[in-house]
Order: sequence, then structure tokens, then C-alpha cells
Amino acid sequence: MSDESVKPSTESPAATHAPSAPRSEGAPSGGGGGHRSEGHSGGGGPRREGYSGGGGGGQRREGGGPGGPGGGPGGPRRGGKRQYFRKKKVCRFCVERVDFIDYKKAEMLQPFVQERGKILPRRMTGTCSRHQRWLGEAIKRARNIALLPFATEL
Amino acid sequence: MEERLYDLIFICRPATPEEEINKIVSTIEHSAVEHGGKIEKTEKWGTRRLAYRVSKHREGFFVYMVLRSAQSDIIKELERRLKVSDAVIKYQTVRLDEDLKRQQKLVQHRERRASRRPRKPATTPAPQQQMPPAAEQTAAS
Repeated sequence: MSDESVKPSTESPAATHAPSAPRSEGAPSGGGGGHRSEGHSGGGGPRREGYSGGGGGGQRREGGGPGGPGGGPGGPRRGGKRQYFRKKKVCRFCVERVDFIDYKKAEMLQPFVQERGKILPRRMTGTCSRHQRWLGEAIKRARNIALLPFATEL
Repeated sequence: MEERLYDLIFICRPATPEEEINKIVSTIEHSAVEHGGKIEKTEKWGTRRLAYRVSKHREGFFVYMVLRSAQSDIIKELERRLKVSDAVIKYQTVRLDEDLKRQQKLVQHRERRASRRPRKPATTPAPQQQMPPAAEQTAAS
């Protein structure tokens, strides 16, 4: 994006997005964008931020999307509400080398189910994708035979 | 046809007398044998609390059986009998042979890998203890 010309005011939606995203360089003042658009007037400043907002936000999303290397869950995905680094959680089943998740053992499945009966997502429990799939199957089988609830009321 | 392995669990009403449960179990066993199957294991888990109400009951008597058969239509017959029976309120059949095959394959892979090269066991803190001294040596040098 080497567009140096000053764009018309159709870029204002992008400029308003940039200050709302809580990033360090997203300062709404002209000073923040000033270091980029040195030779330009203040009118070019907010639009610079708009561009960098688009570029920076896109990069951030790619980083958080695949879940990071090693399947690290709990990653920052929602626009920086959580901290930027992800806690290192290990898959419990991989550590114990479990090959078969038994649906008949409800107490083993209990830690992976919310109080309301919902299955916990991978990023909360730290399970790897393979075991999360097996776990989901086992929980659904257990639900069918009334060993685990489908939904509980709080 | 290869042998298939099934898990059959059914739940009886909580107040069912013992002999009726035994009667149901033997009916299942007989019809399984008739259709070319074999009951490998029968377990009675007793009365357990159900996670949700089934037929207005909050508890049920669980019975668990393992069935091995080469024919697939035996399941239909067994489930029909369970459905018809009054005491049984819920039943579920799960096919398990594919899962067990995969499990055995994983175990084999792991054993083969472990025997191919001498690995340190996974849960020793020894590697961690060795690392800091090595780091100290490199830092010192």
C-alpha cells in the first residue's frame, strides 16, 4: 500500500475503527500518525492510521487464528481484551498417553464439561485437537445414556 | 466378515426386581447366541442417579454388556427386544472395534518408536536439571 496521495473522506470509517481498537500505536491524535506521514498535512494523519489499522489488525488476526505453534490455546483473539501472550497449557491426554477416552467413565469427563453441561472449548482446557474430537464424541455418547446431562439449569 | 465389537448399555426402572433384570439379561444373551453373536461380559452397575429425567425417573439400574458378533443385524434384533420390554427405559449400542483397532495401532506405533531409539522416559526432570548447568557453563565460557 504505497499510496501517498491524500484520500477523500470516504476513509473516515476506517479512521474511526482505528482508535476503537486498543492498540499501542492507535493514538487518535495526529502525533501518533505523524511519524508515518512526515511530509503530509494533518489531514493525511488519520488516514495513515486507518491504513495501518487495517494492516496491523490483519496481522494480529493471523497470529491468533491458528492457535499458535504447538496448539497453544487461550490465545488473544478478541481484539486484545486478554493479554497478548498465551498461557502454555499441555494436553492432559497427551501427557498421560491416553489412547481411548471411555464414555462410560463420567467422572473422567466431568472436568471438561461446564456447570451448565456444555463442553468446554479447547482453549480453556488445553486439549489438543485430536483428543478434543475424541472427548466430544465420548461426552455425546455419555449424554445419550444419561451419564452426563445435556443441559442443566443454574 | 470381520468380527465387530459392541458395547450395549441399558437402563431399567429403579424399582425393578432382581429376577426381572436377570430375565432380561438372559433373553438378550439367548437371542444374541441365536443370531450368531457372543456376549463376552455382563456387568450390573446397580442403581445410579441419572443426569436427566427419563420416563419420569431420576434413577435407574444400569446394565452393561459387551457383545461380539460378525453379523450386523443382530443389533437390530436386540434393540427391538429392549424396546419392547417394559422395564427398560433407555438403551444404547456403541460399536467399538474401530476405536480399539486404532488404539492398538497407536500402542504399536509407540512401542516401535520406543524400541527403535533409546529414549529417555517422558516424565523425568533429569533433562531439566541438566540444562541449567549446561547454560551456566556456556555463560561462564
